[in-house]
Amino acid sequence: MKRLALATLVTALGVGILSVPDIAAAQRESPLPTASRMHPDSSTAPLQEPPGGKYKKVSTLVPLPDFIPGLGTLYVDPATLPAGPFLAYDHQGHLVSSIYMIPLKDMNAQKAFNGLKIAHATADHVDIVYNAGHPGVAEPHYHIVVWYVSAQRAAQLAK
Amino acid sequence: MTSGSRREFLKAGGLVLTGLGVAPLFGTRLLGSPEPKLIEMRSDALGSRVWFDPIGLYVPPGTTVRWLARENVHTTTAYHPKNDHHALRIPDGAAPWDSGFLVKPGATFDVTLTVPGVYDYYCAPHEAAGMVGRIVVGKASGMKARPFDYWVGRPGTDDWRHVPDAARAAFPSVERILAERLVHPRGEQK
Repeated sequence: MKRLALATLVTALGVGILSVPDIAAAQRESPLPTASRMHPDSSTAPLQEPPGGKYKKVSTLVPLPDFIPGLGTLYVDPATLPAGPFLAYDHQGHLVSSIYMIPLKDMNAQKAFNGLKIAHATADHVDIVYNAGHPGVAEPHYHIVVWYVSAQRAAQLAK
Repeated sequence: MTSGSRREFLKAGGLVLTGLGVAPLFGTRLLGSPEPKLIEMRSDALGSRVWFDPIGLYVPPGTTVRWLARENVHTTTAYHPKNDHHALRIPDGAAPWDSGFLVKPGATFDVTLTVPGVYDYYCAPHEAAGMVGRIVVGKASGMKARPFDYWVGRPGTDDWRHVPDAARAAFPSVERILAERLVHPRGEQK
């Protein structure tokens, strides 16, 4: 089936490289981060959607809405599936979180996920949430959500 | 069995009947057609819990069943080797269905079930989490679901997939469906 082939394809591509901006520093200085405030290690990843590079909008890879309530608009380097990170942007196109998706079966098998990339930012808080599955990661897994915004701002992503 | 949009199905029938000069009869039939039996495809806000409601349903042959996506992204997909090599868990001679992903809340998919028997189906992204359902069509007694691993060792089944443990645990029994006609999932608000 198409979705099985797609899932197999994106899962089989291997591991890619992530470069994520220093969003926390930008947020401390301005509610609307600008390209001039990007981390020096991040020469190509913009603070605003789209991230560019190897990142693809998730809704173009699998049948999911552009904007996922509670998370935002997601981008991922397909080579890093299923773990990610997925970069999440709010309605204004600002990066709000990095999400790691870890299948339960991998946890139960005590599989290690080493070297996952992180944003050059100070996280505000982390949510670890069970998810029953969705296109792209069609099995029970955990979302480990590293938020770069407050819980109050995260709550604004509900719709 | 007819799958696809019920509106399209009725529209097609109407065109045929109109061509035969029996449009008034069609109008009467349309007004008298029973509403599809509704099965909602649900999820909590976090996507942690997902379910069909009702999870068990009894209908007479010829009934159209409508799946309605309320939240999240779902499919309704018959257990059949043509669907990702899943085990056959619908009656012999019944056509399988697969809605594909219903992405937008409010999206629907209709299937008309005509062959008596037990139909098991699943949601493709949520099968491993136990999002499955069962429909009993026809006879009021004497029907049984296929055992989960009945096919093991039979020729031509080497690539069939086993039903995940969470799904096995979720199916309501045929006996309960026949007794109650409509079974809601455990722990969900009706």
